[in-house]
Amino acid sequence: MTLSNSAQAILKYILVSLHLLMFSVIAQAEVVQFHAWGGSAQVNGYLQWVSEQLQKEYGITLHHVKLADTSDAVSRVLAEKAAGNHTNGSVDLIWVNGENFAAMKQHQLLLPNWVSSIPNFTLTNAQKNPAMVTDFGIATEGQEAPWGKASLVFYHNSRLLPTPPRNVHQLLRFSRENPGRFTYPAPTDYLGVSFLKYVLVALNKQHRALLYKPVTERAFKTVSAALWRYLDALHPTMWQQGTHMVRQASALQRLMDSEVLWLSFSFTAAEIPSAVSRFDLPRSTRTYAMDEGSLANVHFLGIPYNAAHRTSALTVVNFLLSPKAQAKKQQLAVWGDATVLDMSLLSERQKEWFNTQQTHPSALSTSTAVPLFAEPHASWTDTLRDAWFKRYGERL
Amino acid sequence: MITGFQRFTLIARIAFVAVLSIPVLAGVVGVLFPAFGYFPALGSDSFNATGFAQLFAVDGIGVMIGLSLLTGVSATLLATLGALSLLAVFYQSRYLQKIQRLFSPLLVLPHAGVAIALLFILSPSGLVARMVDVLGLTHSSGVTNIYWFFPYDNYGIAITLGLALKELPFILLIALGVLSQPQIARKVHGYYQSASALGYSPSTIFCKTVLPLLYPQIRLPLLAVLAFATANVEIPLLLGSNYPPTLSVAVVQWFNHVDLSMRFMGSAAAVVQLLVTVFALLIWFVSEQGIYRCRHLIYLSGESYIRRGILKTFAYSLCGLYGAMSLAVVYAVLLWSFATYWTFPNLLPDGITTLHWQTAWRGVAPALGNTLLLGIIVSAVALIMTVMTLESETVQIESRWLPMNNRFFVVVLFLPLLVPGVAFLYGLVWFQQRFFPQGEWGPLFVTHLVYVLPYVFISLAVAYRKLDARYIQVAYGMGKTPWQVFRAIKLPMLFNPLLVAFALGLAISFSQYLPTLLSTGGRIPTITTEAVALASGSSYRLTAVYVVLQAILPWLGFLLAWWLPKRFFNPSTQANSVIGNPVYDTKAG
Repeated sequence: MTLSNSAQAILKYILVSLHLLMFSVIAQAEVVQFHAWGGSAQVNGYLQWVSEQLQKEYGITLHHVKLADTSDAVSRVLAEKAAGNHTNGSVDLIWVNGENFAAMKQHQLLLPNWVSSIPNFTLTNAQKNPAMVTDFGIATEGQEAPWGKASLVFYHNSRLLPTPPRNVHQLLRFSRENPGRFTYPAPTDYLGVSFLKYVLVALNKQHRALLYKPVTERAFKTVSAALWRYLDALHPTMWQQGTHMVRQASALQRLMDSEVLWLSFSFTAAEIPSAVSRFDLPRSTRTYAMDEGSLANVHFLGIPYNAAHRTSALTVVNFLLSPKAQAKKQQLAVWGDATVLDMSLLSERQKEWFNTQQTHPSALSTSTAVPLFAEPHASWTDTLRDAWFKRYGERL
Repeated sequence: MITGFQRFTLIARIAFVAVLSIPVLAGVVGVLFPAFGYFPALGSDSFNATGFAQLFAVDGIGVMIGLSLLTGVSATLLATLGALSLLAVFYQSRYLQKIQRLFSPLLVLPHAGVAIALLFILSPSGLVARMVDVLGLTHSSGVTNIYWFFPYDNYGIAITLGLALKELPFILLIALGVLSQPQIARKVHGYYQSASALGYSPSTIFCKTVLPLLYPQIRLPLLAVLAFATANVEIPLLLGSNYPPTLSVAVVQWFNHVDLSMRFMGSAAAVVQLLVTVFALLIWFVSEQGIYRCRHLIYLSGESYIRRGILKTFAYSLCGLYGAMSLAVVYAVLLWSFATYWTFPNLLPDGITTLHWQTAWRGVAPALGNTLLLGIIVSAVALIMTVMTLESETVQIESRWLPMNNRFFVVVLFLPLLVPGVAFLYGLVWFQQRFFPQGEWGPLFVTHLVYVLPYVFISLAVAYRKLDARYIQVAYGMGKTPWQVFRAIKLPMLFNPLLVAFALGLAISFSQYLPTLLSTGGRIPTITTEAVALASGSSYRLTAVYVVLQAILPWLGFLLAWWLPKRFFNPSTQANSVIGNPVYDTKAG
């Protein structure tokens, strides 16, 4: 008895120390430093879940470095490159898009040609969805993998406006018939510029290709004529006759809450039902997408060229693109960020994961597929904004 | 012979003058340089007028300047006339105490809080619009009106209303403070007695005898109000149109612009803002002269029932307005902070929830901590400096180098209130970034002190100077030193006003928006900066929570200031608490 007891104790001791040894090796080798904006409790909570899953399934520890501004991480990698640290960088994975990606690509700070090697990337069906490999009009060239997408959704107060406009022309008709019930933020706000881009894309079906190339004076003249005609007609019918315009996107939601506006829009579809649950929007609020298409942009995951743990980082990206992780991310209660996966490529069981979420009456219906407009080339933003100010005057 | 203590008070007086003048003057210089094109950090080290040229090429710059002038002057005029007519009608009346209470909610709420509260009441879906709808006074029943007058009108009416509503209680408070000074109160009492014997009504007596006595005493605070109103940021930012806004709002927007080269134009605009304020003061001076020339009309006219009637109606309607406003503010803001859905035009929300308070509570801790810590330190320092400076007035000394001259001192005292914040704060930030780039709390402390000191001084000076001199003379007669007299007689006797001044300091510090935002680059949030940020955020209900917090904090300060002396210095209370259980002593509070 005593002998077997002590043998057991020794065995236990050996097992425990082996386990500890293994664990410490893993812990040393497999910490991935994920630099991502940390300003949202929902995003942070999701990454917490991701970290737990990775630990369980792959023994990888994901450390979320919470950034106030993504450009902080960009300048960090740039500083490392300048200092000659080409192999042992402190950033393993970075959440980017738009101008930060443009800057990183320009300075060759990202690992190239790795995205196609990610098994789950095929599920995004990039051949059919060019938005998966284009970031604000700039080709990603395998330097970043799509992670999630945001699209411009509209929401309306169904008590006051039972049938909302379904395209850009109906929007103008609605505003004419119901003056003062619609407005958009001044284009100093990103949502304001996004609205201009949406109208620009929607009104220029025949010249759309121009919008995805760097802007030229001629191209701008060609496509903007329809936009100005449209806005000239829209502004006098808007809230405050289009003179005073809200400074921030958030003010739109407040005006919807106070029932002054009947129709509004947002880049974060998930925030609408969540605001209704917090009583910050009327119960009768409904979210929908315009029939002709929604302006959409995709946010991406990049690996710096000097990442110290690039193999683990690739594993992390593959997990983040897995149907399981994407389905969890799309749940309204978790984050509500739309998936980048093409539903038609998923198995029935995988599709189920995306459908199990509780539906909120105010949320965007997931059953209807909406065509997406990619963001125009990054160079259009400033030109558009400046031309708007010149024509309609600055809002301060 | 000067004692060490007295020498210390003289040093404190110099420090007092330095703290008030150096940041303001440095700030103005710091704005003047970039306004004239000198800003080496942006690659410009020669002087030019490009900033001004750019500024005057901006569309609607004339309207911006006009709006600042118009709203500032008319709001101050309205508030002054209102406060004076209230005094005329109610000064000798027993309702005065009760009337003061009507005005207190709008007195303790900071400007940002007042603007937000007005949005809850007067906007197209606010309380007033709901009442109009419920009473059936509108054509489109059940739907918010789009042609509503408030806010964001192009004529600055909403801004004027907001400013006037907020300034009137302040002017009233200052005037009552002046009238409570013993030498003035004695005179006024005499005037009332003799004039009533001659058959004049109280309001006529006020206009003919008290006003000429009172006005010179409240003139400087009035000018400070005027300067403040022409350059205020919070109220036009929240209630005014942004096409175009007032000049002060434009200055802030240009300085916050991502394009740093806008700094030149922003600085030029800040200089123009300074000129606008000076011009508003000039308008005031000229009007004063005009009224002074016509004073015989006031003095020589007899009793007029019509004039008295108009004055009385005006004063009573003001009381009604403020009573209704105060009620509406408390009702709307409190209910919104607890409301679930609240459909137009219902006067009550569908339900009540503590969700918004819970949400706010999670995020409020750092802001609340910063607000309290800063307020307490700043007010304590301001109080010590003020007491020492007041004490230095008793020192008999002839010196060309000491700022003993009263006139000079008073101008310095009002300097931070007369020079618009937007005109010197940015320059101050420039100096700070140049010389103390790492500092956050230091510059924050200094900017708050600059604004808190004058108010603490004004609040305490009256009580300090009217302290019965006989106690002090007796003490000196018994051979006590100035320090002993100060410690054993003045401090205990002034315990009550000291606490009130401290509470006022807290209230002023709590309410600072622009100084807090600018001196820290937004890195140290306070309740007020959070409230303004939230007012442009997406939740009305969360904003309401912050307005309640903004009102509660200074109110708690004043409550403590009012309760502590009663608790510790009221002989009857002390006797009670020795004998019986103080919990049951209802008179103690």
